[in-house]
Amino acid sequence: MKRITIDPITRLEGHGRIEIFLDDAGSVENVYFQVPELRGFEQFCVGRQAEEMPVITNRICGVCPEAHHMASAKALDVLFGVEPPPAAKKVRELLYSAFYVTDHTTHFYALGGPDFIVGPDAPPSERNLLGVIHKVGVDIGKQVIACRRRNHEVIKLLGGRPIHPVAGLPGGWSRPVAESERRLIEKTARENVEFALFTLKAFDDIVLKNSSYLDLIVSDVYLHKTYSMGTVDAQNRVNFYDGKIRVVDQGGNEFAKYDARDYADHIAERVEPWSYLKFPYLKNIGWKGLVDGADSGVYTATPLSRLNVSDGMATPLAQEAFDRFYRTMGSEKIAGTGRYFPVHHRLATHWARLIELLYAAERMLELATDPEITSTDLRNIPSGPVVAPMGGVGSVEAPRGTLTHHYFADERGVLTKVNLVVGTTNNHAAISMSIKHAAQKLIGPGRPLKESDLNMVEMAFRVYDPCMSCATHTLPGRMPLVVRVRDRAGNTLQAVGRS
Amino acid sequence: MAARTILVGVGNPVLTDDSVGMLVARKAGEALSGRTDIDVRELCLGGMELMEALVGYDRAIIVDAMTGGGPPGTIYHSNPERMFESRNSGCAHNATLGDALEIGRAVGLKLPESVEIVGIEPADVTTFGETLTPLVGRAVPHVVRELVSMLSTVAPGEGR
Repeated sequence: MKRITIDPITRLEGHGRIEIFLDDAGSVENVYFQVPELRGFEQFCVGRQAEEMPVITNRICGVCPEAHHMASAKALDVLFGVEPPPAAKKVRELLYSAFYVTDHTTHFYALGGPDFIVGPDAPPSERNLLGVIHKVGVDIGKQVIACRRRNHEVIKLLGGRPIHPVAGLPGGWSRPVAESERRLIEKTARENVEFALFTLKAFDDIVLKNSSYLDLIVSDVYLHKTYSMGTVDAQNRVNFYDGKIRVVDQGGNEFAKYDARDYADHIAERVEPWSYLKFPYLKNIGWKGLVDGADSGVYTATPLSRLNVSDGMATPLAQEAFDRFYRTMGSEKIAGTGRYFPVHHRLATHWARLIELLYAAERMLELATDPEITSTDLRNIPSGPVVAPMGGVGSVEAPRGTLTHHYFADERGVLTKVNLVVGTTNNHAAISMSIKHAAQKLIGPGRPLKESDLNMVEMAFRVYDPCMSCATHTLPGRMPLVVRVRDRAGNTLQAVGRS
Repeated sequence: MAARTILVGVGNPVLTDDSVGMLVARKAGEALSGRTDIDVRELCLGGMELMEALVGYDRAIIVDAMTGGGPPGTIYHSNPERMFESRNSGCAHNATLGDALEIGRAVGLKLPESVEIVGIEPADVTTFGETLTPLVGRAVPHVVRELVSMLSTVAPGEGR
């Protein structure tokens, strides 16, 4: 058996790579996606006061500290048995909406979008925001930077500190919103809505009106069918901050809908001997390996899956974009629901992300104009030293998938056990499968992997925006790729690479 | 006098040696506390966020854990053009610092002419912890001294 290794990131111990195993004939047999392993998180947390967690866990990841902060604050609400006042939940969701706008914007313009805007065949040095600026003009770059800046300002204002919020507490939020601040946030939200509409229009003009791109999106290179997961509100519409977790099957039928606190009844984690990664799967289906279909418990938790599980969007413009998305992808509504038959074309995730961007912007505007948002009734104090015996579970939709924090504490509130299921982890199996699927179309007997094919392989995992290490704050920037073809003894037969 | 120079310590405070950049920046800041022309900032992020932190300054020094192949505690000097050597100042979710600076300049942000990078070879950046490994810990006073020395001159163009 030959082995091809793609190192998408260079880490100290060589972790973080894609391994493509070929059989003796030269066909792709298996693909494994691996990310850096960080050690000792539970030991680091156990013995601390539980209320430190919103500040500690937002250091787990420099990419989505806000998501960890929210999941952690929500876990503490449950652990200490204290429901935040309505205004506190709204302020939390307001900050979270601003975070979604910057995160989805940055992913689209800096990472995912360039595959389309400058093209999948463009040299890697151009497939970034700089390439987008060269292709579309400097104004777009200015807009992206301005969008990031104004939303970072909102996050700092609401969260009490730039980037890593500190305002989340068990039972609420520590920092009220002044009327002058509210007006600034409202202005920001209005600009965000305009920017999201502009971005969807750009996607229309650049991607959807280009038949070769549309063909690529709907091609079978990036098509495979798994279960979909996402959080929905009481009307089964997309929600990032709160709701029930819903899972639909490949045909769009509801398979499960549950409270985050019951996650362990629905999700189990598979450990494979060849990887230190855990592979979450649907417990009530079972683990059948890295395979598609109704009998396999593999699911995805992505912008696309969140749309697939939902009966619609909670804001009007996003709802229009939602309908248009499914109709364009050739999907019809499921009778008696607002839901469409799921889209499984993985590249459509980029489009789904932009619909979520518009929803986040509209939701931010709703919350910024909510009369209750400037309330100072932001905290309920736990009534006594009661700690939930089953621990506290908090969950949000992180941009990269459902994020769950689960803490156990003793009667003094000192942590005794901690479990986290982070966004990207949900998708480990699906990412490996998407890469395998693409690799199988590109590599075969007499068709060795060419450097020009590398981006097509990268595109298969880029749709998931995988957090390579949901624990280190940063990584080397543009991913250097090294591909190695090895024989059984580990000798390198072929090396293709770029930096 | 408005600050003209920024010293940024990059890292993760809960990931063992990954905190070294933040720690030395803090200590250098204490040693330079009388200097109103210098701002000191600790940052957990690379790429675009790091670039955005430099806007408005004439000179920037970034200090971070960096892997260059030397023994733990080795001190390196680099610049954004060679950022691929850093394990920590880039960000796979948006851009390298070099690209981010180019993007920032392209859209007209006022960015420092001079960006210097000081790196410290870590021994462990994959275990959660709040203490440095011994060899990296021993390098701290040396790095602080170097930073203070580098900052002993004011940024060019100050004209004071």
